[in-house]
Formats: sequence, structure tokens, C-alpha cells
Amino acid sequence: MSKVRSQLSLIVVLMSLGIFFLLPMGAAFEYSIRNGLEGGYSFKNYLWAIREEDFVYYALRSFWLSSLTVVITLMVLVPLLTWIHVTKPRVQGWIDGLSLLPLVIPVVAFAVGAQLALPDVVKNTVLELPFLYFILSLPYAYRALDIGLRAIPLKTLVEAARSSGANWRRTITTVIVPITRTAVLATVALTFALSLGEYTLTVLLHWDTFPTWVTFVAQENLLGAIAISMMTLIIPFLLLAAISLLTPSSKNER
Amino acid sequence: MSQNYLKVKGLSKKFGNVVALNNFSLEVARGELVTLLGPSGCGKTTALRLVAGLERQDSGTIFLESRDLTLIPAHHRNMGMVFQAYSLFPNLTVAENVAFGLQMRKVDRSARIKKAHELLDLVGLDSQSARFPHQLSGGQQQRVALARALAFEPEILLLDEPLSALDAQVRSNLREEIRRLQLSLGTTTLFVTHDQEEAMSISDRVGVMNEGRLEQIDTPDDLYNHPKNVFIANFVGLMNQVSGTKTGKSVSVFGANLKVKNEVVTDGRVLVYIRPEFVELECTESDADAKVISRLFLGSVSQVICQLNDGTIVHSLLSSRMSAEFAPGIRVKIRVNEDEVLVSNG
Ligand SMILES: Nc1ncnc2c1ncn2[C@@H]1O[C@H](COP(=O)(O)OP(=O)(O)O)[C@@H](O)[C@H]1O
Ligand SMILES: [Mg+2]
Repeated sequence: MSKVRSQLSLIVVLMSLGIFFLLPMGAAFEYSIRNGLEGGYSFKNYLWAIREEDFVYYALRSFWLSSLTVVITLMVLVPLLTWIHVTKPRVQGWIDGLSLLPLVIPVVAFAVGAQLALPDVVKNTVLELPFLYFILSLPYAYRALDIGLRAIPLKTLVEAARSSGANWRRTITTVIVPITRTAVLATVALTFALSLGEYTLTVLLHWDTFPTWVTFVAQENLLGAIAISMMTLIIPFLLLAAISLLTPSSKNER
Repeated sequence: MSQNYLKVKGLSKKFGNVVALNNFSLEVARGELVTLLGPSGCGKTTALRLVAGLERQDSGTIFLESRDLTLIPAHHRNMGMVFQAYSLFPNLTVAENVAFGLQMRKVDRSARIKKAHELLDLVGLDSQSARFPHQLSGGQQQRVALARALAFEPEILLLDEPLSALDAQVRSNLREEIRRLQLSLGTTTLFVTHDQEEAMSISDRVGVMNEGRLEQIDTPDDLYNHPKNVFIANFVGLMNQVSGTKTGKSVSVFGANLKVKNEVVTDGRVLVYIRPEFVELECTESDADAKVISRLFLGSVSQVICQLNDGTIVHSLLSSRMSAEFAPGIRVKIRVNEDEVLVSNG
């Protein structure tokens, strides 16, 4: 009896979630293939978007900025969190709290303040964006990674690796990252998606990226802008699917 | 044996206010198996981790022959460690786990695979080499961990209660196997356990630890027969504690006068420590000391458990042939077949 009921509630939840996510996406898609005033459906908005000469430029720019953010995130967070979990477990609470700060600091204050703290090489170049995106996505990236690190006997594994002759770098690259692969991929996905969609900070600092360009072209061709948005939803998804499929899964191979 | 391969001198280590090690010193000869034995929390693991370089001492020195290890990081110390918890890398096969240390030492692939199979063969698991850790039993996993720690021919093999998570049968098999391997490879080994039987059965020497210090280190026989103090006497082997009366250098117990081995004890009522094999029994009707409450048949010997008139339990270890007459309920007289005993004011 209770089993039937719990299955029923599961179905209700899944269906509500499905509707919640799919309905707006379906609606947006339907809108993006309309022919405007002439009526009927076609992919001409998509063709228009791809033919826009700035499309590729901004798409590529956002892509490499987001990729750089992912690299920075992994290079900073994986060693730092591993080291803290193993040697300074008491500091964890503090780091937990600190990682939430980007959520409560107003973006305006953050944009100005954080910019000052950046090294001169990247200051006032577009390279400052990945560093700032890194901080903005920290609350999510940190949590995704932390869950993965907590799920394994991290301290014992790190110490087993170190006493077998692995230095910290090799311990992280040959042991920790492969074992926490799922969490690392989640971190990559979150950071990439958040950086790719970042708008407020980018505009405040007067940089142009894909999202700011989309808002710009939307003033000219709304349906085209929606077509672009649909593509920006699908492209990262395909990319992430590709990453997780291509990353060798050593866990279950024989 | 010259005791100068590993030299640990005056190690101290605090965690906050907790003193984990207090002026701990130890010397281990090449090829020797030394066990650190002590109750939980006495600092055994800390001592091992300091030698491994996984923790840094507050003071004291660790030398390997003439090399000071203090500033050498764990990954350069070449110490093979087996942990209490399962510690195999879950993403690597059994063979890859064993070869891990060699891979870190940049040994080429074919050589390290060969070595991994050699070691897996030694621990009887070569047939499992392509499996993953989660497909093995607990005992098998610890064998692989042992092979992994031995594969790179460590200076010292460090074992931190490697058997404590296993069930009794597997535990006693594996501990004999560890000893056999250690002897055949000649690996200097530091073994940590809180199980005195385990310690006594496989070690060249056993160091008994208490509250961060090494109380006594000796061969199992010496430790059992000549414990330096009451703590060790109680910790190693079964020990009877009965009350007696001390005057000067002698103590009277069960109507006999025995010599007192340790000195800093005040006269009067004391606790006297007697091993079960020195307790002899005699059937009597009149002046009985105790009553037999049970007899445990252990094969060639039996343990007869008696209760004194004041309620104290006394164990006697007798040959089974001689103990047959001591059935439960029989009243007995006790004789101590020892000249010198440890006492305490306890
Ligand atoms: N990382 C640590 N942080 C705080 N206290 C510790 C830590 N490691 C050990 N201790 C404390 O030090 C003492 C000795 O611990 P340990 O060496 O693990 O003992 P054993 O292995 O003999 O059980 C214990 O009181 C323990 O609580
Ligand atoms: Mg311990």
C-alpha cells in the first residue's frame, strides 16, 4: 500500500519537475522557430544567428573564458580542499563559510574590490574575467567538489599514496582526481555553465561576451536572440556530455 | 643484534592539549620485527606516523642509520605503510595498486608489472591481479596493501593494526603470513597493535607503551617472565591479582612468604601479581583458600578458575591430566610456585 503511494508521489514529483523544466524550454523552442509575421515554422532564425558575423567571435570568446575559469577552479580548489581535508580538518568550517561570501557581496562592490586584488598582468585585460568568474562560481564549485571529497576515505588514501612515494601533485593527479571523477566533472559543469552565462559583472566592467552580445542583438531581432539562447543551452550540454563520455571510466573496466 | 638501524630518540608530540607521545625512544635493528603494544590512545599510531613522515614531531630525532629523517617528506622516506582502514586505491586494479610505488619511482611498465605479480604471488593473490579492490574480501585487501607496501622494497615496513578489522580466523592466518614474509624478505618491520597475543606471537621484540611512553621493550619471553612493572604485567598475558600483606622485602600470601621484586611500595595490604601457571591447587576439606567454579579444557592444558573466600577470582593453568580432579564445587588449597613476585598498593 505504502509502496504504491510512494511510487505515485515519485511519479508526481518527476512529472512536475519535467513540466517545470521542459515547458518553458519547449515554449522557447516553439517561439524560436516561428517565422515572425508571415506565420509558419522554419529554422530561419537559427540560420540568421549563425550568419551574424559576431556570433562565432563571441561564442568562442565566452568558450575560452569559461574554459580558463574551469582550469583556474580545478587548479586552486582540488589541491586546496584535499590539503585542508587531510591536514587541517578544523579549518573546514571557515572555508565553508568563506565560500559563501560571493553570494552575499553585491556584484558592484565585488567587481570593483576584486579587480583591485588581481595581479597586474591580468588587471584591465579580458583575462580578469576568468578570475572573477572563478570567485562568483565558488559557492557552487566548492560544494560540488567537497561532497565528492567527503565521500571517500581521503586522508587514508592520500597517506597511502604519499608513503608509497607520491608527492602532493602526483597524489592529486593520479589518485584523488580519478577517484572523485564524478564530483570533479560536476564542478567542471557548474563552473563552465555559470561562467558562460555570467552577465551582470561582465557588463559592469564593460566587457563584451556572448551573453552581453545576445542582449544586444535581441533589441534588433528578438526571435533570433531566442534561437541563440536555445543554442547556448544545448551546446554546453553536448560539450559536458562529451567530456563525461570521453573521460576514461577506469572504475568498471575489466 | 646491533640495534642501530632505526634510531628514534626523545620524540614528543602534542595535539592541542593532548600529549600523544612523551619522550619516546626506540631502536630497531636491521631485519628485526618490533611491535609497539599498548592500550588504545597510548600513542602507537602517532609513533608510526612520525617515522613514516605523515606527521611532524614537536621535538626529538629520527635517524635511519646515519641519515636524519626529520626534514625528509613522507614520499622520500621509502617507508612501506599498511593502514588499519582499507586503503587500496579504488580506481586501480589489484596489480596496479601493488605497482603504484614503483610507478611513482618511474620504474618502467614491464618491470613493475613483473614485480607486482611476484609480490601478489607471495601473498597468494596472483589470480586476483586484474580485479578491483571492492571485489575482494577484507583479508584479501589487507594482503594487497601488504604487497603494495613491500613492492618498492621499503627501508622499513610500518603496520598500523592491519588485522584489527578482520575476523579471528583470517586474523591469525594473516599474522603468521606477515611474519613468514617478513622473515623471508628480511624487511625491518615496525608493527602496531593493542592485541597482546598478536604482539607476543610474531615479534622479535615487543615494546609496551603507556600514555605516550615506552614502558619496556624486550623479547616476548622476557616481557612475560620479567615485566618491569605492574602495568606491563597486567597488559601482557593473563595475570592474577590477589591481596597479601607486605613487610619489608617480603610479602605473605596464601600462607607463604615470597620475595618482593619491585621496591617502591609501602608496607601493609598490597596486591600480589601471580601468573596462572604458578598457581598450584590441592584438594582439601579443612583449610581451603578457594572453591573451584569452572574448568576450561584447552587441550594439553586446562584452566581452572577458582573463587577465593573474599570473592577474588584466581586462574590456575595446569596440565589437563593433573586438573581432572578439580571439578566445580571442589574446595582447594592454593600454593604459589614462585619465589619472587610483583606487588602494588593498588
Ligand atoms: N590528529 C589528531 N588530532 C588530535 N588528537 C590526536 C590526533 N591523533 C592522535 N590524537 C590523540 O593522541 C593520542 C594518541 O593517539 P594514537 O597515536 O592514535 O593512539 P593509539 O594508536 O595508540 O590508539 C590520543 O589521545 C588521540 O586522541
Ligand atoms: Mg592507533
